[in-house]
Amino acid sequence: MSDLSRRALLQTSACGFGGLALRGLLAQQSIADSESRAGAPHHPPRAQRVIFLYMSGGPSQIDLFDPKPLIDQKHGTRISPPIDGREVTVGVDRYLALGSKWQATPRGASGVTISDLLPHLARVADELCLLKAMETDNEAHAPASLQLHTGTSIDVRPSMGAWLSYGLGTENHNLPGFITIHPESDVRTYGAGFLPAPYQGTPLTVPTRPEDLPIRNLRDPQTPVRVQEQRLGFLQQLNERSKRRAGNDPQLEGMIQSFELAFRMQKETPGLVDLSHETEATLARYGIGPGLASDRNGRACLLARRLSEAGVRFVQVTMGGWDHHGDIRGALPKTCAGVDQPIAGLLEDLRARGLLDETLVVWSGEFGRTPWSQDLSGTSPIETHGREHQPESYCAWLAGAGVKAGIMHGRTDDWGYRPIEGAVHLYDLQATILHLMGLDHERLTWRHSGRDYRLTDVHGRVVSEILA
Amino acid sequence: MPAPSASRTVFPTLPKTVLFVSLASLLFGGLAPRVGRGDDEAQEPSEKREFFETKVLPILQNRCLECHSHQADKSKGGLMLDSRSGWQTGGDSGPAIVPGKPDESLLIQAVRHTELRMPPTGRLPTEETRILEDWVLSGAYDPRTGTSPQPPSDRPPTTRHWAFEPPNQAPLPEVRDRQWPAGAVDSFILSSLEREGLGPAPESDRATWLRRVSFDLTGLPPSPVELSNFLGDHSPEAWATVVNRLLDSPAYGERWARHWLDLVGYADQIGTSNNVFAENAWRYRDYVIGSLNADKPWDHFLTEQIAGDLLPARSETERAEQLVATGFLLLGDLSIVEADKAKLRIDTVDQQLDKIGRAMLGLTLGCARCHDHKFDPVSQHDYYALAGILFSTHSVERATWGVWSFPFERELPETPAARAEREALLAAQLRRMDQWRRELRDLQGKKRDLDARLAQQPPLPAETRTQLDEERKPLELQIRRLDTQLVHAEFFRAKPPRALAVEEEPELRDMRLTIRGNAHAFGPLVPRGFPQILQTKDAATIPTHQSGRVELARWLTHPRHPLTARVAVNRVWQKLFGEGLVRSVDYFGVRGERPTHPELLDWLALRYHELGWSQKRLLRELVLSRTYRQSSLPNAEFESRDPENRQLWRMPRRRLDAEALRDGLLAVAGRLQPTGGGPGLPLEYPENTGGLRRGEVNPPHFNLGKFRPEQEYLRTVYLPIIRSGPQVGPAEVRNVFDFTQPGEFAGRRSTTTVPTQALFLMNGPLLKNRAREVAQRVLREAATEPERLLHLWRLVLGREVSDEEQAGARQLLEQLRPELAGGGELAPPEIELRTWSELCHALLASNEFLMLF
Repeated sequence: MSDLSRRALLQTSACGFGGLALRGLLAQQSIADSESRAGAPHHPPRAQRVIFLYMSGGPSQIDLFDPKPLIDQKHGTRISPPIDGREVTVGVDRYLALGSKWQATPRGASGVTISDLLPHLARVADELCLLKAMETDNEAHAPASLQLHTGTSIDVRPSMGAWLSYGLGTENHNLPGFITIHPESDVRTYGAGFLPAPYQGTPLTVPTRPEDLPIRNLRDPQTPVRVQEQRLGFLQQLNERSKRRAGNDPQLEGMIQSFELAFRMQKETPGLVDLSHETEATLARYGIGPGLASDRNGRACLLARRLSEAGVRFVQVTMGGWDHHGDIRGALPKTCAGVDQPIAGLLEDLRARGLLDETLVVWSGEFGRTPWSQDLSGTSPIETHGREHQPESYCAWLAGAGVKAGIMHGRTDDWGYRPIEGAVHLYDLQATILHLMGLDHERLTWRHSGRDYRLTDVHGRVVSEILA
Repeated sequence: MPAPSASRTVFPTLPKTVLFVSLASLLFGGLAPRVGRGDDEAQEPSEKREFFETKVLPILQNRCLECHSHQADKSKGGLMLDSRSGWQTGGDSGPAIVPGKPDESLLIQAVRHTELRMPPTGRLPTEETRILEDWVLSGAYDPRTGTSPQPPSDRPPTTRHWAFEPPNQAPLPEVRDRQWPAGAVDSFILSSLEREGLGPAPESDRATWLRRVSFDLTGLPPSPVELSNFLGDHSPEAWATVVNRLLDSPAYGERWARHWLDLVGYADQIGTSNNVFAENAWRYRDYVIGSLNADKPWDHFLTEQIAGDLLPARSETERAEQLVATGFLLLGDLSIVEADKAKLRIDTVDQQLDKIGRAMLGLTLGCARCHDHKFDPVSQHDYYALAGILFSTHSVERATWGVWSFPFERELPETPAARAEREALLAAQLRRMDQWRRELRDLQGKKRDLDARLAQQPPLPAETRTQLDEERKPLELQIRRLDTQLVHAEFFRAKPPRALAVEEEPELRDMRLTIRGNAHAFGPLVPRGFPQILQTKDAATIPTHQSGRVELARWLTHPRHPLTARVAVNRVWQKLFGEGLVRSVDYFGVRGERPTHPELLDWLALRYHELGWSQKRLLRELVLSRTYRQSSLPNAEFESRDPENRQLWRMPRRRLDAEALRDGLLAVAGRLQPTGGGPGLPLEYPENTGGLRRGEVNPPHFNLGKFRPEQEYLRTVYLPIIRSGPQVGPAEVRNVFDFTQPGEFAGRRSTTTVPTQALFLMNGPLLKNRAREVAQRVLREAATEPERLLHLWRLVLGREVSDEEQAGARQLLEQLRPELAGGGELAPPEIELRTWSELCHALLASNEFLMLF
């Protein structure tokens, strides 16, 4: 909007503020490509959008996706996995095999192995491209999570969503290109690093009560809206006047506009995150309902679908609770119950709406867990042991646009420790995600301190074997 | 086998300009041993040949040659494995095989998948790995001939780079307008303006300059009294009087310390896992503030931070200060949960070098950890020469439990008076704890009695039991609370002061080059020393009995060092003029920006020495220049010719950063607390702490929920900084306004405009609270509406209110009064206060407050 016409609008609308109409906050593709801020893809994309389901804490692959008969057989006895012994360990020095209490059996027509703990996911097994030999580099949460999100374990670099927003721009100019629902506390996991700040992720909390704010400072409950509007009207008068006096300046103009956008966000976001108009069937599909273990994640997944559908390039949903150092047999079923229906519901919903063909869904933790047990006390019975972190191998899956459906890729050794076939390093996964979005991970770069940085640093290989 | 890397030790004697050409050829095979049928051919045992051909070769063919052969036309990482000379010469990382030594052979390390991982698609079967190991162990017999032509090098030819040459004293340039310059700085600026057909902007009005210089030097706005004093001072010394006052104020150190802290990774947290508190980090922050306020010469300031523990001291206080200074080396994002301790150690060294490189030298030394720097003349050899110095410095200690490690802490010397005070405090604390223990025993005794009665057989009547249960509940609560209190008091009892600080390793050691940064794959030993390209003629050699940090500091601060002073003055310039003379303030390397005014940069670097490395004196010269006094008014003609204002034809406009914004709000509200050193984390509240008991698996940690009441009113630099998450409580403003994250070492903050900032200003508590306080102040300090408006404008914007603004403000107040009157339950003074708060809120969120013009 030109400077003049906006000012004219400000003058005519009540108190000069908030009168700007919003171009359908939920409208898809409302902005012509020519207005797009950032670059174009390097090659024709297979996927338009990513929904990244981040399982924070490190889900146990042996219990969920990658059964190991040797471990089950040796349950409770000492095994000798090929450990290099260079690292300090806590509570796992006895290497007692901890068999899985549940069966991960072939499901669907494809035979993708999924645990009894995930009955809903098992229903959509034929959609999954299960990566059974993932590897990463860090054995502690903070660095491993950072590497998963930004490609580096100790530094401030742009996050994957920021790289994608930068590489592809946004599909909907009324919404950020990258939204992260219930993120971990480390702001670097959704930060823009050295990329411009508009590419950073916008953190969002799904409200469960009317007074909850989905975005920080979205509202000021103590001040009547009319008062706020009058104050803002006066503020913009001040700003217009100082702009006139000091001469036009893109920064001053930008600051004026940011208030208008913020006011629109304040007005429109509550409706966007309001799930009260969804049908019973939809709510049920995602496991949403008072008292249900899956309520919070169900809301998050449903909102992720809505945001993605509205054109947000990269939507992340973080679901925690996977860090089972103790009593994994007691705790894992609860964690699974919290995510199973929301995730399966999301895949089914995307499929039903024809969106799965253009949306890539990624499911991953920051690492996996050891098939042998961990006992921090040193005295508990094997049945109440947990599992330690394992970056050497773990499972992740992809579904949707551009990947083969109903396949398993990769294999680990009998201990479930080292990949022996089809290993996919985290960097390879990142390269593949970018590839599916039409970006070459070696060419999506940003010059900083004299060097061209990229998400995959100096690593990464597109896993062509899994591309559809 | 004369491995090419062994020849690297010769290059320090080569002239600089040929260094990189020859180094490239060393790496890529220029000096590789001639290949052919050598001496060992005569004794070639047939079983070796058979072993190679039947066992080894198939593995190479099946697993490696796809990416490492001429036939495939690929040489990933520069490595070819289709001939003996291929692996002898090796790739980017050096020779692939050291015959007879599998553990030192890259190829073996790679197939073992420890750090290097080959093949990338997955580990070889154990059997195949073993064959390769046996082959290398037995001498790596390989009959394949054929040369390995050198893969194309992407290294650009090394030319002389301005930043690696010592600064030159250029004569003052001639200018046409001789009246304009007030000093050398202005002459340089004006001469290039004239050369480009541009000219300086008119002078700012006094109020604008005062606001600008006050925020720049102290991070605070001028008070109305300061404004009227300056406006009323008609002497030619008026400007200098203001500058002297600002530089003498303790607020100066509080402002400029933050600029330095942006470069060192300061936070009140150790690592990013589990919220581990850095109980003593604040001492370093206070050290920086104190050093700047004392105007410690910059060279000495840097020296203390690198080698403070090795310097002579005249008093306990000075000794303590020097130890605290070395915290510089320990701040940053340490991987405290790294289970591989060898890796942790070299990662720490890497971070220290990276920090020294960026903060002091403007170089990205970290790049040379894994390979010679791709653009700058810093070789991997240079890196490990420096790294050895820090490798010989004790920085990290393993915890006595779990996988944890922590940065090293040292006890600080105390004055006798301080010790006496501490001991008295401890005695009082112990008395109080004894009292608590007695109370606890009493309560536990009472609870035991109740438990016994409840367990009594036959059971007491239900009614009595219910009653006893009721008595028991609060007792239990009290016991729990008292117990927590005791654990907390015990943990935090008065101890001798400690600080994050380094000491010499008992065993001083040169470092081995590592292969691609791998902590377990080593190359040749590199003697400790300094980068060749930056060698000063009279540089000290490193003694055998010390790590070399003293010499490192001496090298860094040497008057002929081409980088240190330039980097320092450029940072100061950037803080005043928005952009550095070299815009990439943290990177002066070959790919960095070239200076817009190279002669001025050199002049300033040399001037810095003349001024005794006094930052205050340097600042005084800069802010009193005509250049800095220019207005920021646009000029369409100049704009079109120099849109980025590289020639400084006007002052740039700058938005207040997070600290100046919050501190400025506190100042105009009249609520800013004058000082605030000491611990930033309010760990004295037990509810803010956890894991303090002995025998916990995880280290003691914080959970920041409660703040000291006065923290709301302290300068932002004193508020705790969290490394692993968003900033909380009164420090929330940092999340929104481009604060440098503590994991970064970055000297220039970006200025972004995003709607979250507007939401923060519209709805967040910071603006609302300060607006109310400003309103209270204005209503208290002035009596009539016109007087109040006058006062408000002076207070917030540092200028007079215009008639138009007055009319608008009065109209707003009139409109708001009925809106805010509520249902009639509010008293008139409260309605008035709320009404004025809205007006104040608008002013505080206005561009004129947020920007420096």
